[in-house]
Amino acid sequence: MSLYSFDKSKEMFLRATRVIPTGISGNKNPAFAIPGAFPYFAERGEGCRYWDVDGNEYIDFLCGFGPMVLGFGYQKVDDAYDAQRRLGSAFNHPTPRTVELAEKLVELIPCADWAAFGRNGSDVTTYAIQAAREKTQRRKIIVARGAYHGSHAWCTPGHGGLIEEDKRHILAFTWNDATELEDLVKKHRGDVAGVMLTPHHHPAFGEQILPGPSFWSDVRRICDEHGLVLICDDIRDGFRLHMRGSGEYFGFVPDMMCFCKAIANGYSVSAIVGKEELKAAASKVFFTGTYYTAAADLAAAIATLDELQEVSAIDQMMKMGKLLCEGLVKRGEAHGLQAKVTGPPTIPFLSFANERDFRRSQRFSAECARRGVLFHPHHNWFLMYAHREADIQQALDVADEAFGLVRKEFGS
Amino acid sequence: MDDRSFILANLHLHAVLPRLADLVRLDEEARSIASKMNLSVRFRVLRGPSQVMAIREGTVEASDDPSAPAELGLLFASCDQLNRMFMQKLAVPLPYKRIDKLIQMRQFGRLTEIMTRYLRPSDRDLEDPAFKKKFVEMTLQTGLAGAAQVAKYDRKVEHAVELLPHGSIQFSVLPDGPFAFVEVDPDKKIRSGSGKIDSPSANLDINGVDVAADLLADRLDQFAALGGGDLRATGLLPLIDEFNALLDRVGKFLA
Repeated sequence: MSLYSFDKSKEMFLRATRVIPTGISGNKNPAFAIPGAFPYFAERGEGCRYWDVDGNEYIDFLCGFGPMVLGFGYQKVDDAYDAQRRLGSAFNHPTPRTVELAEKLVELIPCADWAAFGRNGSDVTTYAIQAAREKTQRRKIIVARGAYHGSHAWCTPGHGGLIEEDKRHILAFTWNDATELEDLVKKHRGDVAGVMLTPHHHPAFGEQILPGPSFWSDVRRICDEHGLVLICDDIRDGFRLHMRGSGEYFGFVPDMMCFCKAIANGYSVSAIVGKEELKAAASKVFFTGTYYTAAADLAAAIATLDELQEVSAIDQMMKMGKLLCEGLVKRGEAHGLQAKVTGPPTIPFLSFANERDFRRSQRFSAECARRGVLFHPHHNWFLMYAHREADIQQALDVADEAFGLVRKEFGS
Repeated sequence: MDDRSFILANLHLHAVLPRLADLVRLDEEARSIASKMNLSVRFRVLRGPSQVMAIREGTVEASDDPSAPAELGLLFASCDQLNRMFMQKLAVPLPYKRIDKLIQMRQFGRLTEIMTRYLRPSDRDLEDPAFKKKFVEMTLQTGLAGAAQVAKYDRKVEHAVELLPHGSIQFSVLPDGPFAFVEVDPDKKIRSGSGKIDSPSANLDINGVDVAADLLADRLDQFAALGGGDLRATGLLPLIDEFNALLDRVGKFLA
């Protein structure tokens, strides 16, 4: 096959840089992937595939960084969105869709006695820490070192535009080290409002780590003993591990949970749910945004959750994820490479055990992208319901070719 | 002394002053002056940082070892006083030890004048490609050496330092230099130098001296440059990203 080129992506990027700082902001900037060997701009999507502005077709294992959970152009979701759009979306008031989605989440999620909605993950992670601070009247929030909880000043991995005070009350410990967490809580006794953790650890530029056997029960105990609010940032994992939230998958019940990404199959909704005892505190936080009640997106979320349940989408994604992960390891080994897949099967990430500088990963992902399969070299991947066995096989064949080139350049 | 003044003094002593070693390598007049000098001088802030500069037979060596010998001492009452001198404002330090060596401070002053021309160039100077290349090398080395100082003392980059992975970065201005590198130890100690190193953890390739000059003058949209190909980052990208936060702070202090 002829390898892809990205000329139109580059032209569009040049145009973008003239009128937009960075050209493309945040994690979608080419610098985060492989500049020159990755598409920069997308044109359209269908099922588990999308096409870039150069007309190149990709099997998508990044899924828009998570939101595409059913697939591009998923009829039932798009119909629900369109139906509400025709009725109107941004009113002076919320529509019944807000209440219906809240009821749906309260019914689904074990710790949910109430729900509220934003547009992006950062909206609800920030709301969660404010609610925790309001409830406890304490200042500090503990997170796992390297975890991502959004782009607001208290949690952004960026450096610009910050003042020292932005992160002064954010403390970090090593994922899976409950002793370090407890020591930190004791050191700041009486000043820690809550702990925010993702269900499993999925740092950018790093292998994913599953929780150790007693980690979550230890975290729960520490929070209970010290009166801390346990916040689960389920934005990436949510509805890809368990329909009742990832706490069910890993066996813990947090006090609040944050969702986004997979909740609306690409439409813009984030959600926070919480226990009854946090409702009064949450109500004291001024939480709003122009589009927080946008009804069409909320209708899409309701349809997405219904459909994920209806078609047992997680089972299908798990099955395809396992096929992909096992296939990648096997094909990597066949080339004498130490390919390693970490994370749950629906949220996998490939790395090479004998490197820490990502050079093999970067070459591997670049070669796959040139051949129509999008695997990110530095960020965890995602499965979607639309992935079928033929897609996985095609992706593995491309991976096989890319592994061969990695072997040729790096030896092992 | 406030934090800012203390950090700036450390930058002046440990990032700017040692550039005299690069200067005598890169600039003929500076080399000629240095060849006639025989002087070691300690710049010392009372209850603060110090640095020894030794100039002999046309070469310059810097040492931040507190026990390094120096013939002449120049004592500054405060970081502010030292900083004023580096900003070419009135600041008279107290000489001690071999005061007879003070006479050579006139030549030393001329060296710093030439260095200032490179580190704070005029637009006209930068029109000369050969000058611009030297400006890039001197400024890059200042930034890399300065990063070690802000990593140690600047609370604003505490978070970046915590996340800074160990490893090395090769900086290459393509096609033919300058080349520079930094090495970060697991305990976050930072060492920098000029030239190429074997098997860096990360590479930052810069597409020409003009791009490098814009980068160092904080005139470049770095993410746009990375996407457009004027900058190319490969390997351990978090090292480049977090280190860049340190470099940025050096620029802000010395601006």
